[in-house]
Amino acid sequence: MVLVSAVRDYINRMLQDISGMKVLILDSHTVSIVSVGYSQSELLQKEVFLVELVDSIYKSKEPMSHLKAVYFLRPTSENIQHLRQQLASPRFGEYHLFFSNILKDTQIHNLADADEQEVVQQIQEFYADFVAIDPYHFTLNMPSNHIYMLPAVVDPSNSQHFCDRVVDGIASIFLALKRRPIIRYQRNSDIAKRIAQETAKLMYQQESGLFDFRRMEVSPLLLVIDRRDDPVTPLLNQWTYQAMVHELIGIQDNKVDLRNIGKLPKDQQEVVLSSEQDAFFKANMYENFGDIGMNIKRLVDEFQQISKSNQSIQTIEDMAKFVDKYPEYRKMHGNVSKHVTLVTEMSKIVEERKLMLVSETEQELACNGGQVAAFEAVTNLLNNESVSDIDRLRLVMLYALRYEKESPVQLMQLFNKLASRSAKYKPGLVQFVLKQAGVDKRTGDLFGNRDLLNIARNMARGLKGVENVYTQHQPLLFQTLESISKGRLRDVDYPYVGNHFQQGRPQEVVIFIVGGTTYEESRSVALQNASNSGIRFILGGSVVLNSKRFLKDLEEAQRIARSSTAVI
Amino acid sequence: MATRNRTVVYRRHRDAVKSVRAPLFSSASGSGGPVIEMASLLGSNRSSYAPLSTEDPGPSSRDAFTVGLPPSWVDDSEQVAANIQRARAKMAELVKAHAKALMPSFEDGKEDQHLIEALTQEITDILRRSEKRLQKLSASGSAEDSNVRKNVQRSLATDLQNLSVDLRRKQSTYLKRLQQQKEGPDGVDLEMNLNGNKSRLEDDEFSDVGFNEQQTVKIKKGQQEREREINQVVQSVNELAQIMKDLSVLVIDQGTIVDRIDYNIQTVAVSVDEGLKQLQKAERTQKKGGMVRCATVLVIMCFIMLVLLILKEILF
Repeated sequence: MVLVSAVRDYINRMLQDISGMKVLILDSHTVSIVSVGYSQSELLQKEVFLVELVDSIYKSKEPMSHLKAVYFLRPTSENIQHLRQQLASPRFGEYHLFFSNILKDTQIHNLADADEQEVVQQIQEFYADFVAIDPYHFTLNMPSNHIYMLPAVVDPSNSQHFCDRVVDGIASIFLALKRRPIIRYQRNSDIAKRIAQETAKLMYQQESGLFDFRRMEVSPLLLVIDRRDDPVTPLLNQWTYQAMVHELIGIQDNKVDLRNIGKLPKDQQEVVLSSEQDAFFKANMYENFGDIGMNIKRLVDEFQQISKSNQSIQTIEDMAKFVDKYPEYRKMHGNVSKHVTLVTEMSKIVEERKLMLVSETEQELACNGGQVAAFEAVTNLLNNESVSDIDRLRLVMLYALRYEKESPVQLMQLFNKLASRSAKYKPGLVQFVLKQAGVDKRTGDLFGNRDLLNIARNMARGLKGVENVYTQHQPLLFQTLESISKGRLRDVDYPYVGNHFQQGRPQEVVIFIVGGTTYEESRSVALQNASNSGIRFILGGSVVLNSKRFLKDLEEAQRIARSSTAVI
Repeated sequence: MATRNRTVVYRRHRDAVKSVRAPLFSSASGSGGPVIEMASLLGSNRSSYAPLSTEDPGPSSRDAFTVGLPPSWVDDSEQVAANIQRARAKMAELVKAHAKALMPSFEDGKEDQHLIEALTQEITDILRRSEKRLQKLSASGSAEDSNVRKNVQRSLATDLQNLSVDLRRKQSTYLKRLQQQKEGPDGVDLEMNLNGNKSRLEDDEFSDVGFNEQQTVKIKKGQQEREREINQVVQSVNELAQIMKDLSVLVIDQGTIVDRIDYNIQTVAVSVDEGLKQLQKAERTQKKGGMVRCATVLVIMCFIMLVLLILKEILF
């Protein structure tokens, strides 16, 4: 609830003191920020009768001076330019400007210069600069996410831009929560170190007045880690509801776009999957596919009961009751169709791509199993005609990440087979992954085979057998969460910035994964929060990854790395 | 949550810039500016649904954009909003009247019934009139304003629908309780009379199992009253159902894709795009339209005929 309610509070405060008919003007980022937390009908209740984008070229030139304009923008130079143009020839009666992050003085001066008509009534900074997709999960929706994989020298301006955006997002999280954290970062990641240091500079030096909040006994913790420490989680196929929808179809700002999937009725082409608004989804978003099937069947049965009782209208009272319950009935109908459509489409995709077969091998590669058996399994699947290209690529990558040091001959064989079978495969991509996230580059114990305790634990698990072969994988983040809960996060691997130090366990932790989070990881965080351990975790990343997006980032980074003259 | 107000810094800079600019332009704007600012700040505290004030006729600095009165449909929407407020007040009265009628009293309670009927009728009237006016709202006005109009319509429609549902629910609870009450006294009455009858039966030899005349009359009257009440209920349910059906077209379903802000912005962009394409297509069709072709053919024919005429003159 924390993140979503922070955004809602900000928007409420923006709108409540301004009376009369209003128009809300957003930019392409703040549209996402506002849409996930606030609905159109709630805007209408607050008398906002028009929503526009600041750069929309369809803007009519007609002045509507009976409306008051409320702008909510990110403080970028493009937005300031648009504002200057619009203030020079104002369309609305009053202008109230709200920015989602810290304004520079030059930007304020620029705006004041352009405001000849003196239509601006207030300028405020309301720090809602992140997209709060779930109660404890946020993202920044950054477009060129792949920059984090390249060293800064390759493209210094874009790298700086990336870091700035991340620092802005993290700063706004802590301003919204009114906390100033102790900062730790992953030792062997340059970009994590850079982001941590720039954040510390912002919070403790440049804007220390703004961040000077009431100190708690134990300061909260900000941990900045790198996606490449755990490249396995985004590559795996998922079997829990929210993660599976994102992996197979794709969720963007809690919306699912089904238009390319098949022929569907008009009101099911785009649907909303939000745990705030959909009670069934909230109860089932972390359940696995089999249980979801059963629960949906139960939901459909309930619905059929209700619609049958609606058919038999005998008396006046029945009719009155029907008219009374009609809005709820309609809502339930929409909800049931939505979930049934999603599960049907996903089942179709699972069938087509033979994902049950592929995923079994993936989980074996990620969790346990010997090298020989793994090699055989992967070879068989590569030879299988019905396995798609992207699945083959993922299998070889997972094998390479796990067994990169054992039996290089067989690894070579797999590379060759992959190149020969997949037409669209960009050669060298798997080697690129190994260079970026190979065993030498990783801090954490990804496969549980580094120290004796973990090996023993794995063996015990193997002997015991697993409940569900498809969901046996735990992301590396889970181990990190446990270490933090026990206060045992190693200083050697995750040093502090500056001379901060923390005794004991923090009570609020924000983990930022540079390069993107996955829904499997947000599930771990949500389950950990629900277990009442006394610590509240919040997870965020530059994007929300699925395997397609992760592979695209890798390809982009590889392309730039190849074409640049700097040496990696 | 933390916020920071930059208005002071902004105003300071704006005033500084203005004093630099003022000697270049007319001096009237400089002095008029701050005064207007104060006026609009003072005037900004209003309750919702209050009528809009007409804009101050600003000095020369405001001439750049025409400070106009709001368009005419705003008056309609304000009327509807005022009606909704009135309906709410009447509902509160109705609740009080219901409570009074349900309390045990010595009189017949006929005027209570009348009051309740009158109030219910009034409220349903207001709702129906507001709904009709709301439908009219979409017809009038220019195309530029259409989004704003549509959204105003939606918000008022939601309010109206909520009011109707509320009214119906209050009515049905009142009727239920009324029926329960009526059962009570009637049951006791019947019982007493039955006892009376039994005592008379002992005297009478005819073991008449049916009701005697007195009871029949009473039962008939009870039945008539109940029929009347039921008819009333049916009528109001019908009316409200009709209103709800009309309104449900306008109201957004919560939690669906249509309730998302980004989806609505997208569809506006798409529909404006589509509109442009349609206009272009219409232009093209008109250009090569039948009319134009006909006219061209006729003109050509005229020329040909003229030429033939001249030739005829020349040759003959």
